[in-house]
Amino acid sequence: MPPANNWLPLWRVAGGDRGALRLLYRDTSAKLFAVCMRILRDEGEAEDVLQDVYITVWRRAGTFDPGRASPITWLVAIARNQSIDRLRSGAVAKRMQAIDEAPEVSDNAPIALAQLESSQERQRLMDCLGELEPRHAIAVRSAFLEGDAYDELARQMNIPLGTMKSWIRRSLLRLRACLER
Amino acid sequence: MSDEQATGSSDAALVAGEYVLGVLSAAERRAFEARMVREPALRTEVEYWEQRLGVLASELKPIDPPPEIWANIDTALTEKAARSGLWQNLAFWRWATVGSAAVAAASLLALGYTVHIPTPNAPLIAKLESTAGQPGFIAAIDSAGAGLTVVPAAATEVNQRVLQLWLIAPGDHPRSLGLIEPGRPIHINLPADLMQRVAAQATLAVSVEPPGGSPTGLPTGPVIASGKLTKL
Repeated sequence: MPPANNWLPLWRVAGGDRGALRLLYRDTSAKLFAVCMRILRDEGEAEDVLQDVYITVWRRAGTFDPGRASPITWLVAIARNQSIDRLRSGAVAKRMQAIDEAPEVSDNAPIALAQLESSQERQRLMDCLGELEPRHAIAVRSAFLEGDAYDELARQMNIPLGTMKSWIRRSLLRLRACLER
Repeated sequence: MSDEQATGSSDAALVAGEYVLGVLSAAERRAFEARMVREPALRTEVEYWEQRLGVLASELKPIDPPPEIWANIDTALTEKAARSGLWQNLAFWRWATVGSAAVAAASLLALGYTVHIPTPNAPLIAKLESTAGQPGFIAAIDSAGAGLTVVPAAATEVNQRVLQLWLIAPGDHPRSLGLIEPGRPIHINLPADLMQRVAAQATLAVSVEPPGGSPTGLPTGPVIASGKLTKL
């Protein structure tokens, strides 16, 4: 599928095509499951959230605007938001699993739709993260991938809450300035 | 910049970044989402950060979910569709379409057009809804299969942009049926090459496009309403 039309599957889903949703699920669920698992660290919880994510996609595909987001960015945002909300609800048991102890990894290379933004876009963010103080960059990356709130981040990095807030806010301002250069 | 200045900033754009990063508490997240509804500019900020920070997710190795997850999703969606009450729906829309076709015909007649009035037993209709289930448009194919009447079921704000109607036959890419009006019924003569694609199970959808319609021949803006053609 040509990249310029990579939103067509979502468009078909918006039209009520269940087969299109199945294909979208086939192509993107391993990536979104990884997103949910990293935040929730619990297979059962991540599976529940993943189901809700695709039901949300079915309902909201018509609000997807290809002029404002790429399909995979839109899907990842839904998966992250629902995972973070589940994590904050307190229903998730204390996470004991170590970061790299993930269940089996898909052998299938993700196809075009599941591939994230261009390598240039990724490199740009990495360069800008590289301009931050290393511990600040770690906090930003960890916040995004793990979905941890300020207090949890501060506890993990063993610094006061106020300092963590100031690290993150300053990092966001600097990232923005760097990304817009 | 000192830590103090950064901490003291209550810039909404910054909160959008914190929201996307995922560092806010549950209560702060709900408050920000409520604010985003009132201040659409915040939505743009959120999209900015989702796009920029989203590339971090490429670090994650894909993990195959268990096979039963898709079956669960499929079942949940089927149950949801059944709960929405197909029979009531059909009866209601059969009635609505007959009424709307007459309204459409009357308003076109008033404008001096010669109209092929859709027959009350038009074989194919579609109700085009937003994904939130709000009615958007009702479309009826006339009995000869040569024309299509589209009636807005609710007011739609388009803000200097236009609405374009698309036909998506199963397995086909979207094909333009032309521009439609947000505020009044319109009758469209189907191009001969599209008539054969107009059948039950084909989808009609309305997207928001720049003035003059999509420059690419494919939808470029958000889909505000869509629905499948159904035999009555």
